[in-house]
Amino acid sequence: MTESANPEARIFVVETQFQKMARRAGGIAREQAIEKAQAEIDQIKPEFDDWLDRELRDLIANARTGDGTADWIATTNFRSRQLRDTGTTMGYELLSFIADSFCDLLDSIADGGECNMDAIVCHTDAMMLSLQDAYRHLRPDQVPELTKGLQRVAKRPGTQSPPLPAGPPQETSRRNGD
Amino acid sequence: MARFTMNLRDLVILIADPSSYMSLLIHGMLRGFGANKILEVRSSNGVLRILTNQKIDLLICDARLPPHGGLRLTRAIRRKEDNENRTVPILIMTSDGREGTVKLARDTGANMVISKPMSPASLYDRLAWTAFHSRPFVDTPNYFGPDRRFKIEGYPLGVGRRKGDKAVEVGKEVGPALAQDDIDSLFSAARTG
Repeated sequence: MTESANPEARIFVVETQFQKMARRAGGIAREQAIEKAQAEIDQIKPEFDDWLDRELRDLIANARTGDGTADWIATTNFRSRQLRDTGTTMGYELLSFIADSFCDLLDSIADGGECNMDAIVCHTDAMMLSLQDAYRHLRPDQVPELTKGLQRVAKRPGTQSPPLPAGPPQETSRRNGD
Repeated sequence: MARFTMNLRDLVILIADPSSYMSLLIHGMLRGFGANKILEVRSSNGVLRILTNQKIDLLICDARLPPHGGLRLTRAIRRKEDNENRTVPILIMTSDGREGTVKLARDTGANMVISKPMSPASLYDRLAWTAFHSRPFVDTPNYFGPDRRFKIEGYPLGVGRRKGDKAVEVGKEVGPALAQDDIDSLFSAARTG
């Protein structure tokens, strides 16, 4: 039922403190605010790389003990979500993509799907690969055989793992963020 | 069109996310936007503790915040009548951009939903929208929160809402979920005619 259709609806105006104060003079214009925010993120980046290495090691160690229990799924999923949610913002799109696929796989296990170790190892291997220099700042569409293979495995975890690319990634004219 | 500015100085902003690094990123973005009073918690219990002790001006909350989840937390904040933070703006962050999840967030009383991974531009635009577009509150037996009948007619700063994304070199969102545009459109039950 919509608000207007409900005869019991009470509708009232609220001007929140957030609105009042955000509209004050002396604020920051959009473009400048975004530039400053990006500068703040850039400052975090060196630390991010260290954190990322640690997180990925912990994730892999945890993932490979896979027993399909609720605790294991929750812990592994939390670590994978962290990588997915921060990766793209920090310029690691491929890692975010793989972590997203891994989260889907874990969700399917949580929903009663098979806990297939091949599919799990396939994802953790792909994550490791995505941090190598040649792959670090690639987008998923630049490694189509990997991304399509992962999607296949995540959907049908009992199937054969996709081949990891043997050679260097495809050359394209676009760079990350262009 | 006039160029707006947004002033976040001295506003108390609470980030509720289980990931310390995600919080650090959001914290950095908010600092860049000029915010200087930023609190962080990792759980919905932490949010409730803070709300018991002080007034906050904005809550940015993960949809899967443990242990109760950000949507249940939002509903609890909106429903508790003797709560001075009852009308606080709430932005829900989610990497689950499925239509059902976004509608659920809207129907629990969230002001906006922002998809993860997020860029500074996407966060700024949603904060600006929340700041510059007043929405009445609706109180019914089944719902307490911002009026869900509204339409986003562009972000308020006189520029394309994604214009800054490329300039600041942030990556594209990936995954099968709804794009942020589609999420926004779910908040626009379109008061037409």
